[in-house]
Amino acid sequence: MTLIALTVAWVAFLLGMAWYIAVLDGLWAAAREGRAPRAPLANPLYRCATILRQQSNLTEAPDLLNWRLAPALYAGLAGTGVALVPFSSASVLADLEVGIVWWGAVEALTVVVVFLHGWSANSQLGLIGAYRYVAIGLPVMLISMFVLIAAALPAESLAVPKIIESQRELWNVIRQPLGLPLFLLLGLSLSFRGPFNYADSADIAGGTAAEVSGAPRLVWEFARLAMLTAVATVAASVFLGGYLGPWLPGPVWLVLKTTAVLLVSVGLSHQLARISPSRMMTLIWTVLLPLSFLHLVWAGVLAL
Amino acid sequence: MNVTDIAFWIFAAIAVVSGWRVFCTDSMVRASFLLMLSFIAVGLIMVLLNAPYLGIATVFMMAVEMMVMALFMVMYMMNPAGLNPMMMVHQHRFSIAAGVFVFAALTGLIVVTRFSSNPVAPDAEVVVGLGKELLGDSMLIFETAGVTLLATMVASVILSSRSGRFGEADTGAVPPPLEPGGEPAGRQPEQASGHAHHHH
Repeated sequence: MTLIALTVAWVAFLLGMAWYIAVLDGLWAAAREGRAPRAPLANPLYRCATILRQQSNLTEAPDLLNWRLAPALYAGLAGTGVALVPFSSASVLADLEVGIVWWGAVEALTVVVVFLHGWSANSQLGLIGAYRYVAIGLPVMLISMFVLIAAALPAESLAVPKIIESQRELWNVIRQPLGLPLFLLLGLSLSFRGPFNYADSADIAGGTAAEVSGAPRLVWEFARLAMLTAVATVAASVFLGGYLGPWLPGPVWLVLKTTAVLLVSVGLSHQLARISPSRMMTLIWTVLLPLSFLHLVWAGVLAL
Repeated sequence: MNVTDIAFWIFAAIAVVSGWRVFCTDSMVRASFLLMLSFIAVGLIMVLLNAPYLGIATVFMMAVEMMVMALFMVMYMMNPAGLNPMMMVHQHRFSIAAGVFVFAALTGLIVVTRFSSNPVAPDAEVVVGLGKELLGDSMLIFETAGVTLLATMVASVILSSRSGRFGEADTGAVPPPLEPGGEPAGRQPEQASGHAHHHH
């Protein structure tokens, strides 16, 4: 019974948060263009219906197996990320002893899946998006590894529930101030939004999704939102104490914190400009990665 | 036959079949990711054997490793994207003989060896134990191996990136001549000494 209830909560959480991000995106776009948003709450659903009415496009000689599987695998990876996070002290779908190692595997497999999505279409723009994404996605993943190891130090555990319990006195966002901002960059990279949209950006006509339409397109767009949800949920748990909080029940706190992290992420993705991939590489390897080393040393000295 | 047994046979089948398909596919990218799938199935079997850290770390390492490998193979080969069909196996006679020999030797070892039956208690702190081992008694071995591997990787990239298609990387790229023994094609640099800065 609890397993069924948890599974229902997990699906509802993923769908609800994806809808919430899509609404935020619509509102932000309307505000930027200085027009009143039209049916902002229903707009994501209209978009779903529009995409589903389209025919599924086919390119010449694609790797059809990988092309069709990639969106589903991407959504599935996001789902396993959300499953790691407890809704309250007693309710977690995947109580893994090595939860954040699995999260690391989710990040690494996401890079593989996005590459395959662009590669298997057998189209130039998709391939460019795929290569650009790997070049940026892998080092950003390294940053998040150091940040997560730092968060595991005070908890002396790799399990997400234990990391949350270690924040009863003080949240990690205060104890390790660099962690959350660096982890938010990972969210933008894993769901390729705004400054980290090297996979599916407009300058390469949609990149890895340039040739995709119909149902696979819908799954792909949902998966991007689900992946941002997964990153925000993990961030809310690892840095903001997850379900911990006074007065309100645990799940409500988790939802509140996740929506707040998502609001900041969506804001960043609309406000920050994208720089050329080679400059971003330099920025990551010479500034952001050393920052994450510093962060780890800081967290280690503090944990001693 | 319980759930763990069924899961073991499924993962074992995935590992063997995808490992075999590595040698049948005609694309470097597909071969890399089939190998990744095989290793992921092995990693999940390790999770079933109550080695969660090693199993999931295998999944994570293999995903990164095969991604980088696929990229580098495509970069160093003339096949521009790995989608063009190409022969993925070489030295047929030697590799068949080596494969048969290694298979026979490993199978023989399995038959001859007496495996200890020493099940891990379900509540044993295996991850903590592994951490203490890696950063305790075995630290010197692992750190030496790690630093050596890193130095090897850096050195191999430096060595392989110097000689490019159009000459040594540190002398600047010179395109090949249009006819044998002629002048290099394209616009000539004003100074041949390798300084690319122009002051006008």
